[in-house]
Amino acid sequence: MADIAVSVSDLGKWYVVNENRFYGSLSDVLGRWIKAPFQRAQDVPYAASATPNAIWALRNVSFDVEAGSVMGVIGRNGSGKSTLLRILARITTPTEGHATLHGRVGALLEVGTGFHPDLSGRENIMLSGTMLGMTPQEVRRHEDEIIVFSECEDFIDTPVRHYSSGMFMRLAFAVAINLEAEIMLVDEVLAVGDEPFQRKCKAKIRETAFAGRTVLFTSHDMDSIRNICQSCLLLDHGRVVRQGDVKECVRVYKEMCGVIETEPKP
Amino acid sequence: MLTFHIRSAGQQTLLDPAELWRFRHLFRTILWRTIRVRYQQTVIGMAWALLQPLLLTFVFTIIFGRLLSMPTNGQPYPVFVLSGLLVWLFVSQTFTSASTSMVANPHLITRIYFPRVILLMVAITVGLVDFLCAFALLIPVLIWYGLMPSIGALAFIPMFMLAIMTIFGLSLWLSALYVPYRDIGHLLPFLVQLWMFLSPVVYPSNLLPHKYSFLYALNPIVVVIDTSRWAFAGGAPPQWSMVEVSIIVALVFCVTGFWFFRRMEATFADIL
Repeated sequence: MADIAVSVSDLGKWYVVNENRFYGSLSDVLGRWIKAPFQRAQDVPYAASATPNAIWALRNVSFDVEAGSVMGVIGRNGSGKSTLLRILARITTPTEGHATLHGRVGALLEVGTGFHPDLSGRENIMLSGTMLGMTPQEVRRHEDEIIVFSECEDFIDTPVRHYSSGMFMRLAFAVAINLEAEIMLVDEVLAVGDEPFQRKCKAKIRETAFAGRTVLFTSHDMDSIRNICQSCLLLDHGRVVRQGDVKECVRVYKEMCGVIETEPKP
Repeated sequence: MLTFHIRSAGQQTLLDPAELWRFRHLFRTILWRTIRVRYQQTVIGMAWALLQPLLLTFVFTIIFGRLLSMPTNGQPYPVFVLSGLLVWLFVSQTFTSASTSMVANPHLITRIYFPRVILLMVAITVGLVDFLCAFALLIPVLIWYGLMPSIGALAFIPMFMLAIMTIFGLSLWLSALYVPYRDIGHLLPFLVQLWMFLSPVVYPSNLLPHKYSFLYALNPIVVVIDTSRWAFAGGAPPQWSMVEVSIIVALVFCVTGFWFFRRMEATFADIL
């Protein structure tokens, strides 16, 4: 039995939708303001029941991912996939539950993280790389590889604001995919660039997976899920619908899409 | 191998120096980027850091030195005002940029994880770089008036740390409050202006009756400016009793500010 790289138990995240949660009468605001720092996070669920617009973006999610395996996370829009990855990337904190990750985490959730339009492509590689958690030495070691992968060789010393959107995305993706991290969180970034570049990205992700890294991967493209993943997690409205077998999850997902697609979103 | 535990907001440790150290490269990167980008597409670049105190010294000398004949304990007014102004400009500019540092960087906060306090530290370090540039202005002015820095110059460095602590503590509070309450954006310029009048920038601190010195010391910038004057323009050192009060005030700002910031930090990415 392989080691567990990612272990998640009873993870939940509560959000207030369609409301600026800080609106209210002055006394309300001041009251909350004084109480807020004293409130423990565990108390939040009680507040959830009191607030009409509160929803659980994610609840009761538990799973383990073996080291070196690829797990697909699928579900319709708004099912909590991104929230899950954002929690694991520590961008946002869960309301309840906990998770343990063994190894450095590289998150590829939004391309172009930390890119600055006034700096050159080469400067942005360093910037973005360190922001994603690489050391400057690691970035320099991968620099050539990144530039070649991005297909932006001729413009690498030009400020990024002169790039076409395709070039910008390619460079951003090239930086992120060359991260040296044991655990990779990848969100939908396959929708980058033209067909040939997308193919290249898919190949690179597969290569990453085979290189012994642990990958959590979300996509709406069921073919890549079936091709890349060894296990799968199907979410709907923040709850786990199916987990484990990839084929089974994909089948249920397709069924869900076929049947529920026409219904308006709640 | 590194192991990360992800817990709900209330269960995080208050202070994690090892984690801050892990993010040192990020600090350097953001700092470098901020400095790099700030003076791009400006004609005179870093000279802005010099021009501001220079012009203000000129204006204040005419208004307060000549027209209003402000008492300065015998010091030439330009030296008197510049020695205070250098400290004050550092305080006001750094305080403002540190307090807005969370709201000004939503693209970083909502996309990557890092200890958010790094943005605040960057803002303060950038202010420090500007201060060092502006400080060079003092040398020709001192030579022009034939003044030598007094022994107080040695005291200036620790007192300057007091100013940094004050800024750090206050902007921890304000930057965290700014995220949910955009009112802070309207409050800040007003607060800075008020703070300037409460600090002896254009007037000498002994203009205030001695019995109010305790109240006056609640603003730690008073003793910092007084030390700067004592060091570079001559005159008397600040009272030690005031310094003590100011140190305690700055410490209270820092400790409570850090605690509040850590409590609020987890919500930044959700609100921004």
